Amino acid sequence: MTTNPILDNIRRSLGRTAGAPLADRPPIVAARTPGSQAAEIALLIEEIGKLSGTARQMTRAEIPAALQALVAEQDVHRAALWRTAGLESLGIAAALQALGVEVVPPNADKHLLASCDLGVTEADFALPETGTLGLLSTPEKPRAVSLLPRVHLALVSPAALRADLLQVFAEARQHDYLILITGPSRTADIELTVTLGVHGPKALYAWVVSG
Amino acid sequence: MSQTPVSINFGAYSEHVPANIPAAVQQATGRFLGNRQARVAEMPQWEALRQAASDIRLHTLMHLDAYLEKLAAQVTAAGGQVHWAADAAAARQTVLEIARQHNVRQAVKVKSMATEEIGLNHALQEAGIEVLETDLGEFIIQLAGTGPSHIIVPAVHLTKEEIAELFRQKLGVDAPADPIKLTEIARATLRQKFLAADMGISGANFLVAETGTLITVTNEGNGRMCTTLPDLHVAVVGIDKVVPDWESLTVLLKLLARSATGQKLSTYTSFITGPRRAEGEFGPKEFHLILLDNGRSRVLQDPLGRQALKCIRCGCCLNVCPVYKNVGGFAYGWFISGPVGSIFSPQILGVGAAGQLPFASSLCGACAEVCPVKIPIPDILLHLRRRVVEGDAFGGPSAPATIRLGAWLGTLAFGVPWLYRLGTRLLPGLTAILRRGEWIPALPPPANRWTKVRPFPAFAARFRQWWGKRPLRGGKP
Repeated sequence: MTTNPILDNIRRSLGRTAGAPLADRPPIVAARTPGSQAAEIALLIEEIGKLSGTARQMTRAEIPAALQALVAEQDVHRAALWRTAGLESLGIAAALQALGVEVVPPNADKHLLASCDLGVTEADFALPETGTLGLLSTPEKPRAVSLLPRVHLALVSPAALRADLLQVFAEARQHDYLILITGPSRTADIELTVTLGVHGPKALYAWVVSG
Repeated sequence: MSQTPVSINFGAYSEHVPANIPAAVQQATGRFLGNRQARVAEMPQWEALRQAASDIRLHTLMHLDAYLEKLAAQVTAAGGQVHWAADAAAARQTVLEIARQHNVRQAVKVKSMATEEIGLNHALQEAGIEVLETDLGEFIIQLAGTGPSHIIVPAVHLTKEEIAELFRQKLGVDAPADPIKLTEIARATLRQKFLAADMGISGANFLVAETGTLITVTNEGNGRMCTTLPDLHVAVVGIDKVVPDWESLTVLLKLLARSATGQKLSTYTSFITGPRRAEGEFGPKEFHLILLDNGRSRVLQDPLGRQALKCIRCGCCLNVCPVYKNVGGFAYGWFISGPVGSIFSPQILGVGAAGQLPFASSLCGACAEVCPVKIPIPDILLHLRRRVVEGDAFGGPSAPATIRLGAWLGTLAFGVPWLYRLGTRLLPGLTAILRRGEWIPALPPPANRWTKVRPFPAFAARFRQWWGKRPLRGGKP
């Protein structure tokens, strides 16, 4: 029995008693059926592109050249990287340092992270239908790296592809943080003119790395 | 628009709307609707999603006590603190208390309707705490000192020239009348505030009962900033925002952004369960959830009216409403406008304070057709019109005796055939003295309330005659 007056008011309004049984939640709508992996990757890239993000598919061997182009294009001097096995095996930190980019740890002070030009993460989930990346958060892969730096680069493994939010949530519900990212930060608050990068990253790169 | 209104005078508020407001609002709503139509067209399961969403929302309201208990237990288990606020004053008090305990001087805020509802900014400022709106549109109208004209694009009524002037005056910067440059200035200004703030304030789009998770949706990323950087996060959320589980969330998130702006998903959707748990992680050290009732538990007792609480605040009903599109958001007098405002405000504030709003509609029904959670808005508007006339009390009829007598006489006259026939014969004669040609220019009181404004057509009462003698089509009955 509760003595919470708000809950008591609710029960009085609904004619319920404390501890009355819950009816089953009404059914939800079935999850989307995915296409082939190639089709899903193509769709993801297309959708991120529609959102003014830059998405492409590449092999491991193509990463250094792609990084070099990104560093030049976005004038990157300082970068923060997630400490994950995936990023380490792809040699991202070493490649950036070789390009003269200062690499700071992911759990650096917020002011230092905010001064970074680039934040590099690895998507835990990718939803092709909406062009969405899903990122969990831990001390090795903190949430601020996809938020504070001016540019966000997310590496996407084909293993991260999920057909529907339902599959993403089935895994993410056990974690204390999930962020779904659908394109770069945007606003249309001034005369409905779409402007990128109002608070979050101004540019979003998603590289689907296979092979 | 920081205080709870005592009386909303829609008639007066909508009388002298500057011409730029409907023009700007219609440009925004037109774009959002166009995008929405494109999204709906590509989703064959759209109607199934709407039905599921409506069923889930209503189910949650019908078991709200149980889901709130579950939610509160899960938030606590995750290390958060739950506060219950019966009304706006209690909610404000709780936020101020938490702010005082933490010696808060600067707060950053995500656009939130619940904090508008309780007038939080005003209370914080009075207590000497700087509170900054961080959604670009909200930031602009906070500088301008006005209310929102649209739920999604609150500053849509201001031109880039006006915003540039505002930035020059209030921020002391040289601001060109260019949306991209102005956004850049706001980014730089607010970035410093995000990093310096000691409290982040948010609402929530949803709360998941099964895990105690808070969901916020933004396009700009300000929601992430406010809930990631300060050491203290305080969320003020209406008790109607709870959903049972993550499966329910899939249905609602698929509908929300598509209905609001025509995006498939908003740019950022955050799912936050409690404060940070690990050292070296970001996120607040303390998380407080204030569950706001403010009349919602009372609204639940009305079987039709309670459906207003299914609302997920997408703003789509505003975008289709011919009345809203001509008067803008200010005319509705409170934080929530448009058709949903017209069914929410009178139920929360009472029909005495907001009784004009249910009449601010042509009952065209467009809102009900697009509502992603299928709120029967026109039915509720009619229902509330009845309550405006009869009073807010539930139970027996409370119409004035004269109205009831009139209704009873009407039932008698139309329900007894011989009496009706007699009436139709007598009335033309009885009214002959008042008649001038085809019209009756003046009737005696109380019927003169009609004729003061327009003439009354003379009783012809020829229908039965005409019906009996009418030529039959094709010569057959």
